[in-house]
Amino acid sequence: MSEEFEPKIVAFLCKWCSSAGSDLAGVSRMEYPPNVIPIQVMCSGSVSPLYIFSALNRGADGVLVSGCHPGDCHYIKGNMYARRKLALVKKLLEHMGLEPERFQMSWVSAAEGKKYTQIIKDLTKALKPLGPQTKLRRNP
Amino acid sequence: MAKIEDLTDVVKRLLAEGKVRSVIAYETSLSGGKARPVFLKKTEDAARLTWDPTCVHNLVRFVVDEKRRQAGRKNPDPRPVGVVVKGCDSRAIVILLQEKFIERKDVTLIGVSCEKTGVVDDRKLAQKLAGRKIVKVEFDGADSFLVSTDRGPVSIPAAEVLADRCRECPAPSPVIFDVLVGEKAERAVPQPFGSVERIESLSQDEKWAFWEGQLGKCVRCYACRSVCPMCYCDECVADTINFAVTAETTAEEKARKIKWLEKSPTPSENTFYHLVRAIHLAGRCIDCGECERGCPVNIPLRLLNKKMEKEAKLLFGYDVGFDPDKPALISCFRDEDPEDFIR
Repeated sequence: MSEEFEPKIVAFLCKWCSSAGSDLAGVSRMEYPPNVIPIQVMCSGSVSPLYIFSALNRGADGVLVSGCHPGDCHYIKGNMYARRKLALVKKLLEHMGLEPERFQMSWVSAAEGKKYTQIIKDLTKALKPLGPQTKLRRNP
Repeated sequence: MAKIEDLTDVVKRLLAEGKVRSVIAYETSLSGGKARPVFLKKTEDAARLTWDPTCVHNLVRFVVDEKRRQAGRKNPDPRPVGVVVKGCDSRAIVILLQEKFIERKDVTLIGVSCEKTGVVDDRKLAQKLAGRKIVKVEFDGADSFLVSTDRGPVSIPAAEVLADRCRECPAPSPVIFDVLVGEKAERAVPQPFGSVERIESLSQDEKWAFWEGQLGKCVRCYACRSVCPMCYCDECVADTINFAVTAETTAEEKARKIKWLEKSPTPSENTFYHLVRAIHLAGRCIDCGECERGCPVNIPLRLLNKKMEKEAKLLFGYDVGFDPDKPALISCFRDEDPEDFIR
């Protein structure tokens, strides 16, 4: 009897918007898949590409980076730097042959608990048919 | 064509006037045939200079080393260091200036123009000559090389032995220089990212199969890091201990430090290392091809760095290594940067 594959998603959420958004989803008792491991960071701009590679290396099946909407950054323009930096990461991972679904970026404000649950639902659904991520994983 | 006599004159003058502490240039190696880097300090040394299609090295790496050496001296020499730069090397200087690793007064740039050709690829040339020993390689007109071998001279069309990077080079003459030897040239490149596009046309599985095969060969000798003029970080994530260890550093502190990747050359760790290197060189790599040339197991590392250069151009309209006053690629943004990949 084989169990259905449950992907492990690492989510880097910015403290000021996305993390508050995920909190809102929690306190509002909205339901979403338990596959996500949230990591609070101070700003999406502080997410080094190294974090993403490292998450995939240590066994994540997918990575989500989420920050404030453009113009709403607590540090004025951190998310704009993130946008540029992580666009390159996405292109590089695709160039290496990793499935593009495995890395996702989103803007979630503190009021968008609903959007957050939807993103997690969609990401989990997209990752399920792909199976475990073994390309970058240490000792698969 | 950049003439060796002109280059020698320039170097001789600089050394005679004592305006530079040394000149980093090329000389013919002892075994003959190919060029090798040399530090010229005396006026009479200028005669050793050479400029031919085998001057493949990016001498800017030595500028980085020289800067470090001077910083460690008690009485540093205030004079600049002279360096012979080709088009690609001059762009490396631009990046170092952009990042404020060096100042403009630290270097005297002797630009040489590759004009219509470029430098040879050692491996392609060796294959072409099929065992004949190279005595001398010379430019022969605009688009061929004259190779003198131990069994007579051969003229080889440049396109057949030219390094891959030269075939995709957007600027064959230096973009920044104090003295220019040879003529400024423009060159039309039909496919500036041709090599990358070949990989892009593959499916995801084929791409991975390609990279898995290539990166699986990596022995993690870090030659790519050692030859790269942009890899000048004092601490590198690839090192097991990437922080300063002193006598006061406790075992606990050392244990607590994050170890990002393992040293062992396993497929996952190799991929991790090359991903990190590629992303760190995004918007900084000027495609001098030294990593690929230095690689003992022939991994096509250029394909990773060139991809980042392509994306910088396509997504952000950013040309790498042309303007020393521009900010680095990832330390600036435009409001209209693409965000179609973001939900």
